[in-house]
Amino acid sequence: MLRMTKTHVSPGTPGSGPARRTPGFRAAAVGAALPLVLAACGSGSGTAEDGTWAPTEAIEITAPAATGGGWDTLARTGARLLEEEGLVDQSVQVVNKPGAGGAIGWAYVAGHGGDPHKLFVTSPPVLLVPMAGNSDHDHEDFTPIARLATDYMVYLVPADSDVETFDELAAQAESGEFSVGGGSGPGSMDHVALAGALTAAGTDPASANYIPFDGGGEAMTSLLGGHVDAAVVGTGEALGMLESGDMRAVGISSPERVEAVSDVPTLVEQDVDFTFDIWRGVMAPGDLDGAQVAYYEELFAELMDTEAWQEESARLGWTDAYQDSEEFGAFLDDTRDEYAEILTEVGLQ
Amino acid sequence: MGMLDQLLHGFSIALTPQNLLFVLIGVLAGTVIGILPGLGPMSAIALMIPIAYGMEPTSAIIMLAGVYYGAIFGGSTSSILLNAPGVAGTVATSFDGYPMALRGRAGKALAIAAISSFVGGTIGVVGLMAIAPGLASFAVSFGPTEYFALMVLGLTAVVSLGGNNLVKGLISAVVGVMTALVGIDSQTAIVRYTFDLPELYEGVEFLIVALGVFALAEVLVMLNRRGQGGARKGVTSLRLSGRELGRIAPPTLRSSVLGFFTGVLPGAGATVASFLSYSMEKKIARDGDTFGQGNPKGVAAPEAANNAAAVGSFVPLMTLGVPGSGTTAILLGALLVLGVTPGPTMLADNPDMFWGVVASMYVGSVVLLVLNLPLIPVFAKVLNTPRAVLVPLVVVFCVVGVYGLSFSVFDLGLLAAFGAVGFLMRRNGFPAAPLILGLILGGLMETNMRRALQISGGDWGVFASEPISAGLLAVALLSLLPALVRAVRGLRRGRVGPSSPEAATDAGAVPDGGSEDQAPTPRG
Amino acid sequence: MSDRTTTPNEAAAETVRSRPRRPWRPRAGVTPEQAFRFSPRTMGTAVGLFAIGYLVLAFQMPDYTAVSVPVQPSTLPRWLGVVLLVLAVLLFFQRAPVDEAAAADSTSTDGTSTDADPAQDAARLGRLADPRLEIGLFVGALVAYVALFEPLGFVLATALYLGSMTWYLGYRRHLVTATVALSLPFALYAAMTWGLGVVLPSGPLPF
Repeated sequence: MLRMTKTHVSPGTPGSGPARRTPGFRAAAVGAALPLVLAACGSGSGTAEDGTWAPTEAIEITAPAATGGGWDTLARTGARLLEEEGLVDQSVQVVNKPGAGGAIGWAYVAGHGGDPHKLFVTSPPVLLVPMAGNSDHDHEDFTPIARLATDYMVYLVPADSDVETFDELAAQAESGEFSVGGGSGPGSMDHVALAGALTAAGTDPASANYIPFDGGGEAMTSLLGGHVDAAVVGTGEALGMLESGDMRAVGISSPERVEAVSDVPTLVEQDVDFTFDIWRGVMAPGDLDGAQVAYYEELFAELMDTEAWQEESARLGWTDAYQDSEEFGAFLDDTRDEYAEILTEVGLQ
Repeated sequence: MGMLDQLLHGFSIALTPQNLLFVLIGVLAGTVIGILPGLGPMSAIALMIPIAYGMEPTSAIIMLAGVYYGAIFGGSTSSILLNAPGVAGTVATSFDGYPMALRGRAGKALAIAAISSFVGGTIGVVGLMAIAPGLASFAVSFGPTEYFALMVLGLTAVVSLGGNNLVKGLISAVVGVMTALVGIDSQTAIVRYTFDLPELYEGVEFLIVALGVFALAEVLVMLNRRGQGGARKGVTSLRLSGRELGRIAPPTLRSSVLGFFTGVLPGAGATVASFLSYSMEKKIARDGDTFGQGNPKGVAAPEAANNAAAVGSFVPLMTLGVPGSGTTAILLGALLVLGVTPGPTMLADNPDMFWGVVASMYVGSVVLLVLNLPLIPVFAKVLNTPRAVLVPLVVVFCVVGVYGLSFSVFDLGLLAAFGAVGFLMRRNGFPAAPLILGLILGGLMETNMRRALQISGGDWGVFASEPISAGLLAVALLSLLPALVRAVRGLRRGRVGPSSPEAATDAGAVPDGGSEDQAPTPRG
Repeated sequence: MSDRTTTPNEAAAETVRSRPRRPWRPRAGVTPEQAFRFSPRTMGTAVGLFAIGYLVLAFQMPDYTAVSVPVQPSTLPRWLGVVLLVLAVLLFFQRAPVDEAAAADSTSTDGTSTDADPAQDAARLGRLADPRLEIGLFVGALVAYVALFEPLGFVLATALYLGSMTWYLGYRRHLVTATVALSLPFALYAAMTWGLGVVLPSGPLPF
């Protein structure tokens, strides 16, 4: 069954619960996918008794994209808030390493193995780009630090469309006459979100006519102009269109309804057993020791507790979805398996 | 009228001393950032967001509008003075702006750029206020089919930009399109011509090519050009005579309107607008054959168009909540961070903000004009720099620009390679403008063609059956007719005559005023 | 003899006076304007070879089979390759322009000085007799600069490049050269890295 497991978001209650910030290093649970962390933890727990680790020089957050993109926004917002809120003693710098859908930036960070001052921001492409064979590094080469926030996909049709439910959309899509626009290329986020949902609805995702656009905005204008019949885009991007009533969402990929668009039914409600997160998180180079990971886990948990973060993330349409290093690592592995399954269905793997 | 009241209200917000100060800061910062190649309005706004954050939203937006205008103007400054376009939208400006500067008319070129930018911006703002809501349907009427036709129309300009050796012009254009195809194909995710270099997966950055074939190639030519290189003395006054103003007025107005409508289309933007208007004016003007050699109209047209387009791109943002260009995408982000959600409901829900933004854009463009006209002589002093100092400085300038854009040494290598290619092209009479045009429009053309065919299920008939697309394609065909006739006539007269290859073909830099007596073939 | 035709302020600024520098003479065999200029046959052949190489790669490109697409990613490249090949053939058979040197001369000097001094004696930048070597050297310096950009950091690499190139190209106010070469990279670095948050490589320097 295609499901995003363990993606329980704690909506609206960000910094709650002491449990999530306990740096629990129950190594057994992590599984074989994180050998680097495991090794680090093994030795780290021995040395960490002296005390905790703290950065000794400026922290560098890499955005594996150009200035202005989603990763850049996350990196710069994070860096600014970390400094402004006085959470770090060192300065926090943002470095942009754009190119190859992120692969250039990942190669840069991977080249600094064991350097605890080089973080980078991450989201589903860190799984999808390596799967497409376009990166020399995948998520297993890095140490997960924390998952921070998430956003969801909505499935849009024009306001006057006959399509009322996701099942109807799926049936139409299978006919092949029905084109669905998305904001990214085949095999990437938007396509996976569509294909996974179609499979879960019992239709063949390979028969859908997916039209890749440059960004959700272009996909939505094409939908408005009647050039495509449906579109799959991030919730944040679609908010304006949904409010104005120009478009209707027949489903959202969240496990529960999302406050900002509370009248949009989830896929799960419609008996389509599929959820999809556009999660965002922070990772570090491989070979970090336990104390270092613990420091950053704590740091980002604190960051998310601040009012400033809450304000920012609300504006950017994100939902808090904190996971610590270990949970995040396991999540990444599960998610990758799920993506692989979806891509195989479409014939892209 | 309600609209006027609203606008006045907007102005009353924009014109407080405090906000005026922010406009001033924004315009100055934007101009400085824009002069650095690689840092266009997009980066300028992104980089100013942290500063804007924490300010009162209206003031912040007003400042960002100033940054936006300033950055565009800054880009034209480096285009004109150094042949190093800082922003994609100002590449076309360098075609005539730099030759003007070489002929000692840098002051005039900059003044024309400032004035036509102002006019373009103003007409754009008027258009935005008056017809924005109605334009939403125009913006969405363009789907992949229509974009394909628009790009084809744009590409026909190759023929007029190609100079008198059509074969060389077309070779340039084809190589430009080839360059555009490098990278992961957006429609199928198959890699093309990347030679397994991850640095090429996202394609070749446009600005690298532009800086290479324009700025670096020019530096190489400068290097072994005899004479002290100094056209560069005598930066003449920036004053324009009434006659000069009269000459550039019609192109400026036409290009403003064309630019505005092009900007409204979410997939086109300022760069496409500036090229479209440049080639349109070249065709219309009676002295069209002196375009590329320092014709003031060739500066006015793209400058008016790119500013009008910049404003036009606010239409989809404000009315649909969809960013029409990279820059408005950043601005959308900035607005969101400031707690403003642009979109279909903005005009109804938040008219203060809408009119505040409109008024502040207007104020921004006025301040830009007032601030920059006196600064022009200062900027133009650059040209008095001895060549031995200027040459390495231009190189550093390009290197910083490219590195600031991509943070990649690989891209610096590409820059050097394109510099060498551009130099060889210059030397052998291959015009650089078609290459740039092919690079900008070629990729968009292919993507949209394939999107359209994917939607239609492979039916090529859609391009003829959709009215807008059919109309645009017909115009494209018509605009090719004179060139075809000329080519046939030229052939009959005895082969294509490629005499004096650099004289008329090289839109990048043909400084000499000898065009009238030199241009061998009747053109235009 | 070489510099007298220029304006006073420029001659002062860009003086070549005191040092016995070889003024460039056409007798070197290759005029700067002829350097790197090729016949249509050579160019046609070069472009043709490029087109063939491009076509070979285009025909090796895999088709996209996961979903049926009306236009394959290799379709346009194949057409472009063919068009370029045809254009290369056309170029190959073009007549070589006869009046090339003359045309080049009048265009590559600028408008204001053409009347005063069309071609003969004015000095070029640089020091080598052969303009082709000069270009080669310049490109070599650029490549070296790029190669040192990250290892040495922006400030050091740029200072080195600016200083040496300005000196090499014949600017003789060494104090000015040194000031510019030292202050400008630092100013740019400060503005970009600290002012705008666009981080340039720092190299071994401690900031």
